[in-house]
Amino acid sequence: MSEKKPIFTPVSEKEVTRAIVDGFARQFIEYVESDCLIVGGGPSGLMVGRDIALKGVKTLIVERNNYIGGGFWIGGYLMNKVTVREPGQKILEELGIPYEKATKGLYVADGPHACSKLIAAACDAGVKFANMTIFDDVVLREGNRVCGAVVNWTPVQALPREITCVDPIALEAKFVVDSTGHDACVVRKLEERGIVKTSGFGAMWVEQSEDLVIEHTGEVLPGLIVTGMAVSTVYGLPRMGPTFGAMLLSGRKGAQVILEKMKKG
Amino acid sequence: MNNFILHIPASINLYREGDLRGLNIEDLGRYLTEKTHIPFHLCGDIYEGLSEKRVEAVAKEYAKIKVKDPDRRLTRSAVPNLSFEVAAKKHRSGSTLSKPQPSGEGVEGLIMGSPLQAEIDYEKRRMKDLQWRIFGILYEGIWYQKIVSEIIHERQFDFNRCTILFTNQLFGTWDRDDRRYHARVSLYGFPNMISTTGLVEAPAKPKEFYLKKQMGVPVEILKEEYQGRFLDHGDPKTTDVLKGYAMQALFFHLSGEPFCEDPDCRLFNSHWQEEVLHAQMDGKYEFCPRHEAILQELKVKGKPR
Repeated sequence: MSEKKPIFTPVSEKEVTRAIVDGFARQFIEYVESDCLIVGGGPSGLMVGRDIALKGVKTLIVERNNYIGGGFWIGGYLMNKVTVREPGQKILEELGIPYEKATKGLYVADGPHACSKLIAAACDAGVKFANMTIFDDVVLREGNRVCGAVVNWTPVQALPREITCVDPIALEAKFVVDSTGHDACVVRKLEERGIVKTSGFGAMWVEQSEDLVIEHTGEVLPGLIVTGMAVSTVYGLPRMGPTFGAMLLSGRKGAQVILEKMKKG
Repeated sequence: MNNFILHIPASINLYREGDLRGLNIEDLGRYLTEKTHIPFHLCGDIYEGLSEKRVEAVAKEYAKIKVKDPDRRLTRSAVPNLSFEVAAKKHRSGSTLSKPQPSGEGVEGLIMGSPLQAEIDYEKRRMKDLQWRIFGILYEGIWYQKIVSEIIHERQFDFNRCTILFTNQLFGTWDRDDRRYHARVSLYGFPNMISTTGLVEAPAKPKEFYLKKQMGVPVEILKEEYQGRFLDHGDPKTTDVLKGYAMQALFFHLSGEPFCEDPDCRLFNSHWQEEVLHAQMDGKYEFCPRHEAILQELKVKGKPR
């Protein structure tokens, strides 16, 4: 009678721990300095990351939640169908995301499928992530150039007051992207310092909001690019409906801006 | 003899701004002349021929007058007697008259600040592209009119003409009654401004449309469902509908009163899309008997001189 072999190779707990710590530490040390630090791992941040990483730009995305993808998992009213208006479907095609035509100029896809494909595309392109990591402050240099971000573990926020003195750490980058959605955390932090003035979103709700987001995507201060819904907050653009085409295309435009600026040196 | 007409202009000057899909200005001009015997003149793009320096300066002005919070009046200065607001009509309206007045109400306004460079750059791109298609920013209408007025005056200073600017940009005016900005189709004064985007966005659509939109039904689906009950961007009915608004502008120039209370008259100040379509497309008549009589008189007086 032959002895039944275990399916998995036996490893001890300490080896598992070492693998986690070592893997995390090596990557973290490498990405303490990157070409581009993206704050916010929603659709626009992922799109920026994916497009620039494909061009060999060393990219780290900082995400405050455990999960990546932001609001791209679900559409309006917690329903997990996401919509894009033309020409957003071209990006869905590019990422291999199945979609259907809902009506003229409007397309619908499964949220989980779309979001996971976008995350995978960013990972495949070479983007690295620091999730459960919350943006705390901006690293500024001469001429108010944004050169990085100060971050901390997300759970630190929830710690009792007695031990909230957990100091954050700084990450440096040639470019920082604020893709934190309507919160526009990075720009807001600069606003606290009186360096820039944001407007807050929401004068009107009209169909053209998406176009305006793309048009305004770009560098708001030297070294700081703003994409996605954060653009609405910074420039006071009309709020948008539950369609994601502008997030994807804004991310793409943000990537173009970064690549052009890197090219110019 | 009708004492209504105060001043007959030598011509009707028609300017344009941006992509005016659905609007045939020449056709509209011919209509005005046919109705009044006042000649029309197509003046082209409002920004044509502006120097680079002037474009930069105007772009900066536009970037300052974006209404970002419709519940707060945009003011040039914190000093009350330097602030402005619109003498809004007592009723909610799709159109309004430009009569800047000191507010003196002590209401906290939003002071025009320094725009970000990206905002100025956006305005420059918008001004330089004669077929600019993007809209959606709500501008302070009175200040927009002031900026445009200065541009026109730089070319031609002549109050003997009825000037109308057709724009695809959206403007609004502060309503003193409900203390908020409202998007407008038109703003009468110098120049008269008529917005193709305002025509779609300002008059209210059917109530059910908004309820469903709040529930997350995409606009594209709703447009199919409510087709024919409101005007859409680039709607083929745009030219015909705006003929009525252009006539309101002309009546404002003639008499200071652009509106009529008869919902079947093209001069009716419509609040709802369905009212717009009725007054402009399928009213009992084009103009009510009183305004028709004025137009007949104008035809005699307004012959080209």
